Amino acid sequence: MLRIRLHGRGGQGIKTASQILGTAAFLSGYQAQDFPLYGAERRGAPIIAFSRINSDPILERGPILLPDLLLIADETLLEDAQAAPLCGSDSETVVFVNSAKTPENLKEKFSLPSLPVTCKLTELCLKHLKNGMLRSTALAAAGVRLTGLIPFENLMESVEIELEAMGITGQPLKNNLELAQEIFEKLNPRTIKDREERPLSPTKLMIMEQRDVKDAAPFITATGNMAQRKTGNWRIHRPEIDYGECNHCMICYARCPEGVITMDTEGKPVIDYDHCKGCMICAQECPKHSIKTLWEMDHELEPQ
Amino acid sequence: MIEIPTHHKKVTDLHPEEGIAPGSALCAGCGGLEGIRLALKELGDNVHISNAAGCFTLLSIYPFTPFKGSWLYTTMAAPVPAAQGVRDALDIKRSQGKLAEEDDFQVMVVAGDGSSADMGLSPTSAAIHRNLDFIYFCYDNEAYGNTGFQLSGSSPYGSRTQTTPVTQAHPAGAERPKKDLFQIWKSQNPSYIATVSPREPIDLSNKFAKAKTLKGPRLFICLSPCPTGWGFDPKDTHTIAKLAVDTGIFPLKEYVDGQVVHTRVPRKRIPVEKYLEHQKRFRHLFEPTRQNDLIQKIQEDVDRYWEHSS
Repeated sequence: MLRIRLHGRGGQGIKTASQILGTAAFLSGYQAQDFPLYGAERRGAPIIAFSRINSDPILERGPILLPDLLLIADETLLEDAQAAPLCGSDSETVVFVNSAKTPENLKEKFSLPSLPVTCKLTELCLKHLKNGMLRSTALAAAGVRLTGLIPFENLMESVEIELEAMGITGQPLKNNLELAQEIFEKLNPRTIKDREERPLSPTKLMIMEQRDVKDAAPFITATGNMAQRKTGNWRIHRPEIDYGECNHCMICYARCPEGVITMDTEGKPVIDYDHCKGCMICAQECPKHSIKTLWEMDHELEPQ
Repeated sequence: MIEIPTHHKKVTDLHPEEGIAPGSALCAGCGGLEGIRLALKELGDNVHISNAAGCFTLLSIYPFTPFKGSWLYTTMAAPVPAAQGVRDALDIKRSQGKLAEEDDFQVMVVAGDGSSADMGLSPTSAAIHRNLDFIYFCYDNEAYGNTGFQLSGSSPYGSRTQTTPVTQAHPAGAERPKKDLFQIWKSQNPSYIATVSPREPIDLSNKFAKAKTLKGPRLFICLSPCPTGWGFDPKDTHTIAKLAVDTGIFPLKEYVDGQVVHTRVPRKRIPVEKYLEHQKRFRHLFEPTRQNDLIQKIQEDVDRYWEHSS
């Protein structure tokens, strides 16, 4: 059985990517499972999805802890301790990262267990879809190609089925198909070892005990401690203030929903990058257009 | 102690201190978050929030809170009864001399439109009837946003939600007009009602400054553009909020002393489709074929509103 785990951020289409993968496998005569896992987090927050592909019926359930293939849609996740995309992988796991960096560079920077496969998906998404965020088709196409199990036509049909179900038709669908084709042709299949299925061991039933109501409805006595949670890693785009142009009108400060733009002692706006989620409202609202929109990872690439 | 201007004229008049710490799990670009952020800048730290289940559940996740004041979490229907209990307890402490005036809390209910217009309406009506001294902040994103954007009583005519998909038999999506929470409250003659927009921080702050000086039930309806549910890029939150006001779809007004006053009347209302076309939830009005009759109906409803209110 092939166990594929996909990592990305809310809004990037990670769930859809796992569905395209699952459907493509199904169309190729395999049994398939696909499902996402996310909590209360929203856009920009780390999301996981899973696909299992097998020629026999799949009895395994639940999240994939030991992946054979990892598809990582956002390089920033590699540094994210909460997302921990490499969790459960070993030197035999094939790791795919959407990145403009070289595999060697990535392996060293993030201490990867093996040399990853990379492809500049964001750039290709920008080229075909005019949107670097929508990575579902791109990630699924990369996954399909790397498995080497699924013929090209089935990938195309699967993209059509899944996107049409979401109401994407006409030219946008055509653009997605062209994107899938370019990625399919760009990458080569990898040998993914079929690992022994680890037998599931029964765990002991937990008996719930009656606890004091204070345990069930706990108090927080600290104030404003939410700031300890850093949301800066949600950012896909990065706002950067050009102080040469800025006239300190403070519109950005007034409009930022997170309240992460403050005035310094000279009255200049300063962005708190530990918490800025990268919604880019400040860049959109700045009357002088003196806040630039950059990619968080590849600053040199200016998004459209 | 920072001197807070009682009347705001420009954005630098806003209270420089933030009432909400960053780090919450709300979506990037949340319009409702901007609304409550501006509200708390005006109200200060001594606010007790009684929070109905909804998107803003994510504001405070154990063991973290973004607030400097107090926060109590309730079911969708019960934020107002909870606020009544807290207010009563504070009043008893005050009457016993155990709570100084400066340590008292402003009790504020924070609830979404599903809680405000649907599930929690009955206890709210009862509390207005009892003349409970509280502020009610409704962040109105026009659907049950936290659970995946299902229809609420506040979802506007012609919008697509999870539970009102666009089909051949139902080309409009949501087929009933939005409940008018402003009118529902007004019928009980409370101390104050206002509609506010996150895109109008001066208007919003002045309304909160006014409400602060009043007692009794005070409602704020904050139109909260929702990038995730409405389907637009998070950076456009304020663009959408501005279009809602400029098209006349969301009138900025207040009710005080038995009078409704529009605080910002668009001089020349721009066509509603400028607001609708930006959002995925209204896309079916334009694609694959333009549904002129539906767009026209939305325009007529807006025109009728302004005809009757001028």
